[in-house]
Parts: sequence; structure tokens; C-alpha cells
Amino acid sequence: MKKNLLMRFRSVRTAIAVSFGVLAASALLTYFIVSLRYTERAVLENSTEYTSQLIGQVNNDIDSYISYMENISFIVASNSDVRDYLFTQNLGEERKAELQERIRTVFETVSDTREDITNIALLPDGREPMINGGADELNSYTKISELEWYQRALEAEGQAVISTSHVQNAIAGKYDWVVTLSRSITNNASPGVTGVFFVDLNYNSISDLCERISLGNKGYIYILDRNGGIVYHPQQQLIYSGMKDELISEVMETDASSFLTGDGRLYTISRSEATGWIVVGVSYVSELMEGADEARITYLLAAMLLLAVAMLLAFLLSDQITKPIKSLELSMKEVEKGNFSHVALEVRNNNEIGRLSRNFNAMTREIQKLMEQSEKEQKAKRRYELKVLQSQINPHFLYNTLDSIIWMAEWGKNQEVVKMTSSLARLLRRSISNEQEVVTIEEEIDYTEAYLTIQKMRYQDKLEYEIEAEPDIRKEETVKLVLQPVVENAIYHGIKYKDGKGLIQIRGFREEGDIVLQVEDDGRGMDQDTLEHIFEKHVRDTKSNGVGLQNVHERIRLYYGAAYGLSFESEPGKGTVVTIRLPGGKGEADEQKEN
Amino acid sequence: MSRRKTERRLLAAGLLALGALAVCLLLWQRRAALAERTEIILIQKALDDTDFWTSVAQGGEMAAEEHDADLTVMGPAEEQEIGLQNEMILEAIADKPDAIVLAPGSSEATLPYARQIEEAGITLVLLDSTMEEEAGISAVATDNFELGYKMGSYMKQFVAPDTVIGIVGHVEGSSTALGREAGFRAGLGEAQDQVAEIVFCDSITEKASELTRGLLEKYPEMDMIVGLNEYSAVGAARAVLELGLSDQIYMAGIDSSLEQIQLLEAGVYEALAIQKPFNMGYLGVETAVRAARGERVEENIDSGSELITKENMYTEENQKLLFPVAE
Repeated sequence: MKKNLLMRFRSVRTAIAVSFGVLAASALLTYFIVSLRYTERAVLENSTEYTSQLIGQVNNDIDSYISYMENISFIVASNSDVRDYLFTQNLGEERKAELQERIRTVFETVSDTREDITNIALLPDGREPMINGGADELNSYTKISELEWYQRALEAEGQAVISTSHVQNAIAGKYDWVVTLSRSITNNASPGVTGVFFVDLNYNSISDLCERISLGNKGYIYILDRNGGIVYHPQQQLIYSGMKDELISEVMETDASSFLTGDGRLYTISRSEATGWIVVGVSYVSELMEGADEARITYLLAAMLLLAVAMLLAFLLSDQITKPIKSLELSMKEVEKGNFSHVALEVRNNNEIGRLSRNFNAMTREIQKLMEQSEKEQKAKRRYELKVLQSQINPHFLYNTLDSIIWMAEWGKNQEVVKMTSSLARLLRRSISNEQEVVTIEEEIDYTEAYLTIQKMRYQDKLEYEIEAEPDIRKEETVKLVLQPVVENAIYHGIKYKDGKGLIQIRGFREEGDIVLQVEDDGRGMDQDTLEHIFEKHVRDTKSNGVGLQNVHERIRLYYGAAYGLSFESEPGKGTVVTIRLPGGKGEADEQKEN
Repeated sequence: MSRRKTERRLLAAGLLALGALAVCLLLWQRRAALAERTEIILIQKALDDTDFWTSVAQGGEMAAEEHDADLTVMGPAEEQEIGLQNEMILEAIADKPDAIVLAPGSSEATLPYARQIEEAGITLVLLDSTMEEEAGISAVATDNFELGYKMGSYMKQFVAPDTVIGIVGHVEGSSTALGREAGFRAGLGEAQDQVAEIVFCDSITEKASELTRGLLEKYPEMDMIVGLNEYSAVGAARAVLELGLSDQIYMAGIDSSLEQIQLLEAGVYEALAIQKPFNMGYLGVETAVRAARGERVEENIDSGSELITKENMYTEENQKLLFPVAE
């Protein structure tokens, strides 16, 4: 699947860049998510831990308040003055006043030393209550015996009981929010006679404790008593009005020390063994995560930066990797076109690509060498062949000519014998002696004329010829043996089959810088079909001088290029014009270029 | 070659997009850090040490804290200082908060200033009282009819066929007085025909006492008197106590000053119908925050009321209402 996907990219470079990029991106994404998760969990754990410590501290502080109050109650309960005041029967007025004074002093000391104690009072059965420093009185409209903390103190039989937070309405004119610790004081000696002692802790000391602690902007602390009643809650009024809900039963029922609600609030719970109270810290995860938000953005920025670097790297790396491949490809294309110059690759490093490039270079060098060699060999072979061919004079021709000379000598035609013999001698000399491949037009025409002279004498009345060549082309050069084979062809395929006398016209002139030699005969001509296949059917003609038209055409092209060579115009019954096109004045240069 | 160019361009575009994203992220973060808080100004009738306005301010602060808003509470030292309150309104407008929560000191004199708040494009929420004309996006107040009705329907049990009822009102024609009176009468049901007279003390305690004495002289057989606010109720109770008639006359009042609470405890009042100022402040600021943030808010919001008797005054719920501030 992945392979297929990668195959779709048209270049290896893109494939590398894209896969590298995707790899980097997914790695970064994973890194991002993992670090976020980790951060969030760490923040949550830290917050839970921190909140636990905070509310644990709150609970400790409350416990220390309560234990302080308990101590007071214990001291008061076991105080001999108090016990005397409570339990002595038939207490004299003087003694009573003395005891009251002493108790008042104790109470005053307590309230003076501790500001968080709002009230401290002793309520004996059947004697005057002792309240604070003595300035306060009981609220006459309140039935003390119906108050909850009073009833519970009696039920607890000497054990200290702690109320929830409430308004203390036992004392006239005062309506303070307090937490009451109450304790009944009994005497085994005189059962039935009891008193209740209570001490009120200022509620503010608890609410301050809770308000002082900050759990973020929105977070808060609340306290429940052992029955799930609210001791302190910043939104108590809203809860009572039904405008807010608080998780009370959930907190009461859970055993966990913290839990997370669906709407992103973290509840941390601390239970006090001493009071049975439950301190609950509520923090908002969204606030806890505010620091995490910053971290999140930092992570995101870092991830983005890394991604940018990765993209850049992917681009550069793929470039680096594929650059040599690319140049290899380009070189290969050049080689395909047959162009071996400038294809050698620069090898920068010694990796697989470097080795490949080196091998490629060696290979192209080898191929180039082989090609050059084979080209040279081919050319040499061809030249050799042609040379062999051109150096030969057809033995039939020689024999026929010599035969003609014999006949002419027999008939005493001395003049003709001389002419023919000298022409043959010219012909032979050129064939044998001249080793050069290139001759002047002059020499070529001369050679052809010698041949024509012989042929004209052999065919007598059947052949006539004319040679017209511009004087300025005569010094130009040409490949040897181009004109004569054309003329020979004109005789054997044109004139020979004609009834009556045939005329061969040879013209030499300049055309657009080229040299043009034209051989025109008025023989039988050729049809279109023959013309088209003129080079193909040229098997060696044993009767001719042995140099076919194809040979001539090929040699010219071999020497001077594809722009030169033979062309034909012909009409059946009317004759043929063969045009030999050769370069003018620059034969040498072209020849060199070919090599 | 052109493909290379395209790739290079793609790369550049990708890098650019990443850069732009990063910049956006940073801007968004900064904007989120700056623009999150809504600024609210709460202008009370008075910023005194009465339980009522202290509770209103506390409720407002709680709402502000909960909704990430910054709250400034202001108000004259006394409710009667209407001119001073109007100046404060202008100050508040100059501060350009997102919303102003206004407890109008006067239904007439405050109106043009309330209009100025609206004209300045500041969200206006009325608190405690409304004005002659409608103003503001919402009004958070005690449902006065409901308040009176609770009192009336409780007092109905004490009505005998020969009962004569007197009402001491606070400000004649005021929306609160009208609502409470109507509610009280409705609560009495058929017994409302036994209401002999309603007098108005202009929120002056002494005047209320005086008027109560007058009523008792005029109707010697009158055995039920209610006061429609703190001043009227306390004034009436004081007069009844002075005349030593507290055992013969059934009384009730609205609001819960310490004196009223003691009178309830002493059995002078049968019941007190009380408002919920903490809730009022909370709801007022909450509504203002929500409205300022473009949320839809209700036009009229009842902050609630409660009927307190001697029997239920120390329940967990009610003691928090009666004694909201722990000193």
C-alpha cells in the first residue's frame, strides 16, 4: 500500500521529500500529543497533590481549634470551682459569689487570650448561668433546652460534642455565627444535677481559613459536617436558594480522596477523624490547565518550528540525494542521443550513487571508444573496398578495347590505333599510378574524356559526346572516379539501347557555391519506378568499369556529407540527367569535419 | 526544472503557512489573556453597612469571580443621596465598563442618567427597583407582589371575622409599595376587605410610629398591622410596643434588620417576609456579564423571597438569610 502510494510520485525526489516530511510531521504530532498528555496528567497530579496538602492543612487547623476548645472544656469540667458551683448543695450566698467570681476570671482569661472564642458559658441546672465575663445574659426568648447543641451535650453524657456552624441565639442581643463545642458536666455523687458547658468558636476563624486558600480564581473550599450538613460554603446562600448545586452526597459516599467531575471540576477530599468534618477542595481543571495552556502553545510552536526545519531538511536532503541521479539521468539521455561529449559525470562522494556514476563514466567512455573504433574501422574498410574497386579496370573492358585496337591495326587505321592506345594508356595510368583519393575536376574530366574517346571509337556512329566545364571549377577537387562511372552508366543503360546515334553531354558549373557536374544522355530513359530504386539494384556490372552508381553516391556522401551526392531526372524515351553535387572550394575542411 | 520550481514554491508556501499559524497562535494567546475579563460596575442605592447592601455587594462579587469579571461596587453613603448617585453614574460611564448594574435611587431623577448609560452603549441591568419608564436590558429585583403575597397568605390564618387590618406603607406610588400592597391583599384573599386603611411613612421610622398610633386611635378595634418595609414595620412595632398592645395585635413586616429579628423572636411580629439580597447581587452581576457577552437574558428576573417565622428562623437555610454576615 505504502509502496503504491510512493510509486505515484513521479520522481524519487518528491517521494523522498514527501515521505520524510510525513514521517517528521507524524513524529512531531506524536511528540506533541504525548507531551500534552503528559503535561496535563502531571499538572492534574500536581494539583491534586497540592490541593490535598492545602485542605489537609485546613483540616489540621480546624482540628487544632477543636482540640483547643476540647481542652478548655476539659479544664472547665474538672475545675474544682466549677464542680463546687455546680454540685455543692445548699451553697451559701457568699461562697456562691466567690465561686462565680473565680469562674468569671477563668472565662475572662480564656476570651482574652483567644480572640477566636466568641462565647464561653456554663449553664447549670437550677443556678445562675455563667456567661463570658458576666456582662451577657441568656436570650429570654430562646428556650435553651430546645437548642440542638444543648440536647446533644446531654445525650453524650460527658463527652464533648461539636455543632455545625450556626447562629448562636442563646445570648441576648447577640447573633454570632459560631461553631459550638458543648459538654455536660455530671456528678456521680448527686445524679440528676448537671450543667452544660459550651464554648463558641468564631465562625470567621473557619471561613477565613477557607477563604484564605486560593484554588485558582474560581476554585473554592467547603466543609461538611459528619451528616453532610454544610459547615462552610462560599455559595451557601445560592445553594439554599436552589441556584447552585453542590456535590454533597457524592462526597459523603465516596471513599476516594479525589475525583474528577464530567464538567471539569477536581474534587479533593480530606476527612478529619477528630471532628468528623469533611473539607472539600474544588478546583477547575480549566484553571489548572492555564499554565498547561502556555506549555501547550510552547509545544505547538516548538513542533511547528521543528516541522519547518524538517520540511527544509526533507527538501534539501532529497535534493542532495537525487541530484546525482538527476545528472545521471540527463547524461544517459545525452548518450541515448549519441552525444558522448560532456557526458562525463563529476563524482563527489563515494556512496552508491558515486560508484554508479563512476561506472557510468567508465561505461560511456568504453562505448565511445568502441563506437569511434568501429566507425574508424568501418570507414577504413569502406575506403579500402572502394580503393580496391576504383583501382581496377574491368578486364572485359580492357579486353574489348585491346580487341578493337587489334582490329583497327589490322585495317591499318594507324591514326585511330594511336588515339585509342594513348587514351587507354591515360586511363590505365590514372587507375594504377594515382594513389591519392582526391583529384582535381580537371583530372576527373580528363579521365572521363579518355574513357569516352575509347568508347566513341568502339561504338563509332552510335555515340557522340560534348564536355563543357566552366574553367574556374577545374581546379576544384573531388573524390576520384565519380564522373566516369556515371558516364559509363549512361552509355550502357541509356545510349546502348537507343536506335541511332546517342549524345552524352557533360556540364560542369557552380551553383550556390557547390560544384555541379551533370551528365545528360538522350537514351531510353527510366520510368519513375526504376528511378526510385536506382541505387538498390546496382549489382556489380561485370561489363562496366566495376564502379556502380551506388558506390559513387556513397563515396561522395562519405567524404562530403549527406548534402552531396547523386540525383536523377529521367523520362522514359527521352533520356536521363544525372547530377553530381560536390562542395565547392571547401572539400578539405568538410573532409576533416567528417573525421 | 519547472517542477523543481513548483516544489520550491510549495515548500516556501508551507513554511509561510507555518509561520503565519505560529503568529496567529501567539496573537490568539495574547488576546485570550487580555480580553477575557468583563468589566462590570455595580452602583447601589447605598454603600453602607446595612446587611442588605452588604449582601448585594457580596453576591455581586461572587458572581464576578465565578464569571471571570472585574467588579467595582459604588454607591452613596445613604439611600437618600440621589444626586450623589447620579454623579457616580456619570463617573461609571466615563470608565467605559462592559456593563453597569444600577439600583436606581429614584424612579424619576435617576431615569435620565440611566438613559445616558444606554446611549453610551453600555449594557444596563437594573437592580432592586425599576423606574417610571422601562430601561435596561434586564431588571433583577424581588418580586414585590410575591413578597407581599407570602406575608398576606400567612397572616390570613389570624384573621377573624371581626379583624380590622391596617397597612403601613413606605413611599406612596412607588413600584415596591404598590406591588407589596397588592400582593398582601391578594394573599389575604377574601379577608382583604377587612383592610381598613393604608398609610405611608416615606421610609421614616418615627413617622411610621406616629401614623400607627394614629391608626390605632382611629380604629381602636384594629388587631392586625403590617409594615411594607423595614422602616414602616419597625415604626409600627415600636408604637405597638409602647402602647403595650403587642399581645393583642398580630403584626408582620418586610425585611430583616436586627431589630426586626429581635421583634420576631420576642413574638411581636408573627412573620417577616424577606428578600434575598445576596441572590439579587449575584443575579444582577451574572445577568450583566452574560448580557455584555452577547447572551440572551430574561427581561425580568426574580431574586426570590422567603417567609420567616419564629419557628423556622434558625433553620440551616434561614439563619444564613437572616444573618448573612458573620461579624
